[in-house]
Amino acid sequence: MTDETADKAKFRKKLDALTGQPTGGSGKPTVAPDPVNQPMIRHWAHALDDMNPVYLDPEFAAKSRFGGIVSPPVMLQTWTMPAPKLEGIAERGGAPVEIAKNPSAFIEEAGFTGIVATNSEFEIERYPRLGDVISVTQVFEDISDEKKTALGTGHFITWVSTYTDQNGEVLGRQRFRVFRFKATS
Amino acid sequence: MTTVTFRTNTLAWRDINVGDEVTPLEIPLTTTVIVAGAIASRDFMPVHHDREFANKQGSPNVFMNILTTNGLCVRFLTDWAGPEAMVTKLAIRLGVPAFPNDPLRFTGTVTGTSEGVGGEGFVDIAFKGTNSLGDHVSGTATLSLLEDRVDA
Repeated sequence: MTDETADKAKFRKKLDALTGQPTGGSGKPTVAPDPVNQPMIRHWAHALDDMNPVYLDPEFAAKSRFGGIVSPPVMLQTWTMPAPKLEGIAERGGAPVEIAKNPSAFIEEAGFTGIVATNSEFEIERYPRLGDVISVTQVFEDISDEKKTALGTGHFITWVSTYTDQNGEVLGRQRFRVFRFKATS
Repeated sequence: MTTVTFRTNTLAWRDINVGDEVTPLEIPLTTTVIVAGAIASRDFMPVHHDREFANKQGSPNVFMNILTTNGLCVRFLTDWAGPEAMVTKLAIRLGVPAFPNDPLRFTGTVTGTSEGVGGEGFVDIAFKGTNSLGDHVSGTATLSLLEDRVDA
């Protein structure tokens, strides 16, 4: 019993040590593989049937408050996703590429292999425009104690992403939370 | 080429009052919609497109990814407010999953309005998207609406 308590305390200390750490390990910003572009915006607009002319009609967009075509604001999270390596994507919990130095790998290694997103909080300064090259830096904010939900037992992991453009101007911020769990079924 | 008719008018924030209902939006969810949204948002996590994998993770079927949920929330807000409504805040909490063939219905209410500078107004909204299982998403949003636009 004492060993288990000691192990739990050690685990808790490792979780606490993540707060303030970059999620990618290196702290270098992730740069979007492509600038904001019309084809990807069109792909999104049709998939979600969101036919907003500021996303699709250059003439309307030019006369609008945005001054030209913009992408949906929540695509900030999409633009900066690295181009994926499909092989092993399930094992990585959906992460598009292997993170060389993943400081939170020990959580998965402790058996919390399931992952679902639970919360997202966006603050938008401006919408992405065609040609913007967006970067993101992500920092762990909080990891909860072990919780039990309908999906299983695990930890809620929260990080904050800061999205910037090619001039270092902040486009937006996002607090994102996932639940990393051991499945009950 | 398909011709699309775009909505071009945007609401004036001074015409909006606390308690106003945001026009409900019903999304007929299908596996195609779920998969299309995942891929368009560049989310290749197999739970969103591979039913067998979803089963192994404890789910009865593939389910919508949070980026698509976020995108549909934006669509719900701008379908009501208009194309020039700018989402400045969007905070969501996911509840039950959004599975295929379970329509997702968005409803919302204006909870506040305030004046900014230079003819800009802000509208706060509380909303949710529900399906047969319960609340899939609940959240709050703030829209910026310009009163006086400079015509190009």
